[in-house]
This record gives sequence, structure tokens and C-alpha cells, in this order.
Amino acid sequence: MRAPELRRGLGAFVAVLLAAVVVTAGAGVASDALGGRDTTQPDAPAYDTSDLLPTPVDDGGAVPVADAGTQKTVIVDAAHGNAVGRADMQPLVNALVEGGHEVRFYTGGGSSSLISASGTSALNETLDDADAFVVADPAAAYSSSEADAVSAFADDGGRVLLLGDTPTTATSTSSLLGLSTSATTAGSGQPNAVAARHGLSFNADYLYDMTENANNFQYVYGSPSGESGLAAGVDRTVFDAAVAVTHGDAATAAISAENVSRESTRTTGTYAVAVRSGNVAAIGDTWFLSPDGATVADNEVLVGNVADFLVSGTKTGSMGGSGGPTVRPGALTTRGTGALGGSSGASDASGASNATNTTNASA
Amino acid sequence: MSDADGSRVGRVVLVGAVIGLLVGAAVAPTVWDRASGPDGSVAVVELHSTITSDTASTVIDNLREARQNDSIEAVVLDIDSPGGAAAASEQLYLAVKRTKQVMPVVTSVTGMAASGGYYTAVASDEIYVTPASSVGSVGVRATIPTAGVPAGEIVTGPDKGSTATRTEVRQRVEALRRAFVGSVVAERNDSLALSASELSYAKLYSGARGVELGLADSVGGIDTAIRAAASDAGLSEYRVVRMESPTPSVLSQLGLSADADGTASASATFGNQGVETVHYLMLHGSVAAPKTEVVANASA
Repeated sequence: MRAPELRRGLGAFVAVLLAAVVVTAGAGVASDALGGRDTTQPDAPAYDTSDLLPTPVDDGGAVPVADAGTQKTVIVDAAHGNAVGRADMQPLVNALVEGGHEVRFYTGGGSSSLISASGTSALNETLDDADAFVVADPAAAYSSSEADAVSAFADDGGRVLLLGDTPTTATSTSSLLGLSTSATTAGSGQPNAVAARHGLSFNADYLYDMTENANNFQYVYGSPSGESGLAAGVDRTVFDAAVAVTHGDAATAAISAENVSRESTRTTGTYAVAVRSGNVAAIGDTWFLSPDGATVADNEVLVGNVADFLVSGTKTGSMGGSGGPTVRPGALTTRGTGALGGSSGASDASGASNATNTTNASA
Repeated sequence: MSDADGSRVGRVVLVGAVIGLLVGAAVAPTVWDRASGPDGSVAVVELHSTITSDTASTVIDNLREARQNDSIEAVVLDIDSPGGAAAASEQLYLAVKRTKQVMPVVTSVTGMAASGGYYTAVASDEIYVTPASSVGSVGVRATIPTAGVPAGEIVTGPDKGSTATRTEVRQRVEALRRAFVGSVVAERNDSLALSASELSYAKLYSGARGVELGLADSVGGIDTAIRAAASDAGLSEYRVVRMESPTPSVLSQLGLSADADGTASASATFGNQGVETVHYLMLHGSVAAPKTEVVANASA
């Protein structure tokens, strides 16, 4: 092959190669320009922040100091494995103490068995010293005689506050390689034994509201539903996992939750959460007494009303205790509403037996 | 024309024919592929685990690969997940939405698409279920470490240990619930038979019930979902490429990544190597009995 032919062939090869590269590059640029797979930030309508962030419920104010008329002694049950202690009701304790009242925590009579005669006797002695008695979430149920004692105390004019949350059973579980063991221990209960003596009963399931709530379905709103002093000045309260308190005609609902549902039956309606039956008040929540909940919405007003309820009783039928400045009957003015002027016949019977007991004890 | 000329022409024709045959044989397979081969690929992207930032990253990377690979014309999400971390679930939701901009995305619920798993599925064009698979659990929960300053520690503020007060955690859970429920309502708007508050109960439904309630579209297996995705992309012939989700570590499968007390806690599953923090979870089922918990819905 001659040299000119070789040069001509080589030239043709280079030209074709260049053409191929240029055409490919051009096609690539054109393809990029067309794009095809470009994406943009997707529109997520629910992420619009103006609708996203919940409005905090008003949390301010202070619990009013309890009426400071005459010094009263409020005893809080701590002998029944109560799930609610001093720290959990600090705002109530503070309101009472600032009003000049004494708050004691009853830890039992030194007996290991609460249902023994000595346990009941210790409770009787304690109640002698008291003007008001608070029972919150007792894990150990009240015995019949203990419930009688508290009931008689109320019939004698002592104020009784019963608080109950959803009963729980604390369970500890340990698991290793799929094998698990669990032990059931006592959680918290409800003071139903005492409540039943006064025609009241705590439901076992919590109330919830999926639409109108304090930023969580278990935090339901309560509103006044009666003339009772417990609801005085209250516009709207907030309860956490509250239970409904059922009652008969003898009791009146003070604060109810409207358009809420029961967890067990999923039935919607208006349920009483705070109920008063004479000298006994039953409230299906303890969170509103806690430092966390006591100033949410109008809870501080409710806590103040509860404190006033506890110190505004007129206790009769007791000789008074050895606990110092216990106020004698008749030496104080009755405050609040709905204080019982007397006792029913049936109550008198049980009250009489206890009165005998306490008289002897004090004599 | 002389004989010599004739035989020369014959040789040239023969050589040309042979060269043509060889070139043709070389080109033929490509032409055959062009004529009869698949028009493109359907990528099956797996989500077969609880959603943590690691597993979510793999799925998000796979979806990005599907968008960038020109041969992939449609995506089928193969979901069997009880959900997991809230933030990772939201990332998955956005990644699916972005992928949907360029190609059909069809979900096949092969086991359970619950909570964060359903959040991932909800943005797809169609959701296929089987009667026994599960969808729903549209809810949020937060596990909270013990409040206060732990013994033996000095911190610079009251919320350094527990990261927020319970009230603040509750509000944040509510905000996440609104985002989750609002997204489901927005994505399933046309077919959803549940109101936002009914959805907030966070129930887990069977596939059949899910179709009835509009949480899913049709009953069908994963091959039906693949064919539907290919059809939406205009592919009559297609190849299926599976992009697998990462397998959990052997230790965690044996339950040995649990806490010292023997339970697989939220910290062990979603935390940073034993550091206990508030965990916001879109998760169905329980990881352990946490110390305290705030739940946004009745059955989350």
C-alpha cells in the first residue's frame, strides 16, 4: 500500500472518530438539558407549622390559701400503700399549711396488719384528732371496719376527700433470649370501700376526648355542673386520665367532663369527675393536685376549693384527741356549702358505736 | 466482461456478504434486545425492619438510586415494618413523595405497615394489601427518661437530663400526631372513610378492613403490585430489580442488644449506644416497659 493511500485512510479514521465523540458529547449535553428526572422539594401540606404546633393550655396563677378561720387538722392516709404521697399533692398541702392548718400523714398504728383490730383502733384514734381525712389511691383495700370508721367520721361532721385514679397493676418483666418472667406487684387502687358507704363509686377506666382536649386525649376538660362549693369560681379544669365517679341522687356532681368517652365501653357522654355527698367529696383524679397540674387552666381554683372543703367542716361526736389544737365542735363557723347539719338515723347507729369507742379511748 | 472480471466481482460480492454477515451477527443480539427485551426495570425497594435512622437511610438511598437510574421506570415498596423512630419515618415519607414525582410508586404490604411503616406507604400511588396483612396504627408515642438530675451528675439546667418537661413532651407528641394524621388525611383524602379523630385512635386494621376504610386501595400480592407499577409507567416488558433492606445485626436478633435489665428498651433499639433520651416513636407494639410514656392516641 502506498503512503498517500495510508494517509488518506488514517485521515478518514480520525475524522470518523472525532465525529463520533462530538455527536456523543452533543447528545449527552442535550440529554442533560432535557433533564427528565429532576425532582423538587415535595409538598407536605400537614407540615405547615401554623397548624402543626398545639396551643399550650394556660398554666399560671397560684393556688389560693385555704380559709384561715380556725386551725384544723387534716390527716392524709399513707397507711394503705397509697400511690399518692406528699410530693404528689404539694400544692394542696401548701394551701392548707399557709392557711394555718396542720397536715399530717397517717402511716398506720404500728401494726403490720391493717385489718387487725389494732389497725382499726389506730385509725379511730387518728380520726379523733382529725377534722378532715384524705384518702388517695390506696393500694390496699379498706377493711369493712376501717370503712365504717371513716364513714362514721364523716357522719360526725368530719370532712372526707376520696381521690382515685385508674387502678394499675405494676408488673415487672425480665426477658432473656425470649424467655420472660413477670412478677405482679401492687399498683394503685381506689377508695371504693369508703366511697360505697356514701353512695359513690369510682369507675375503673379512664376518660378521654379525641377532639377537645388539653393537647392529649387523656387530658380532658372539666366544667362546673352543680351549685357545690367545689366548683365555685371554676370555669374549666383539666384532668389527667380521670375516672368517672358514679353517684345516686343523694350526691351532686360538682365538676363533670362533657362529650368525653370511657375507655372500656367507648361510650360518649357527660361524666361526673368531682362529686360531693354531704361531708364526703370524691374526685376521680389526683393529677390536678400535683405540682405539674395544679395551675393548669382553673385547676388552682379547684385545689383551693378542695382545701376550703377540708377545713370548713363542723365535727361533732368526738371528744377530741390528744393531738393538740384540735378544734372543739361549735367553736367554728361553717363555711362552704352543703355541710351536713345532722346525720341520718342509720349513720347515727354506726356513729354511736364509734363514739363510745373514742370516748373510752380519750377518757 | 471477461471471465477474470466476472470472478473478481464474484469474490468482492462474496467478501462483502461475509463481512455483512459477521457485522450483522455482531449487531443482531443488541437489535434483538431492542426489539424484544424489557422496556425498563421495576425496582422493588424493601422495608423489612423497624425504622431506625440506619434502616431508613438504606431505603432512602435505594429510592434515590431508583430516581437516578434511567433504566428504572417504577418503584414497588415492599413493606413489612411496625414503624420506629418518628424523625426517620418522616424522612421516608418525604423520600417516597419525592420519588413519586418522577415515577409511579406502588406499595405492597407484605406483612405489616403499621405506624411509621404506614407513614412510609401512605404517599405511594397505590397500596396493595392481603387480607391478613395489617395497616394503620397512625399514632405517636414518646418514652421519657427519669426526670430530674441523675445522682452523680452535674448538669447546667433542669431539663438537661430529661430534655423537656412532661407538658412540653406532651405538646411535641401532639404536634407529631397532627403532622402524621394530617399527612394521612391529605394523602388518602379521596378514599379515606375515617375522620381525623377516628384515625387518631391509632387502630391497626386488617388488610381487608383497611381497603374498606380507604387506608389501602386493593387486595393483591406483590406481583400484582409490580405489574400495576409497570403498567402505570407504561412498561409492557420489564425487568424486576430487588433492593434489599439491611438485615438487623445478629446480636439484636438474639435480643442481646437489650439493656442491662434484660429488656429491649427504646434506648437499646433507637438510642445512641446506651444514652437514654426522649424517644419519639411512630411504632406499633411495645419495646419494653419504659419508665414513663406519653401516648398521643388511645391505642398507639
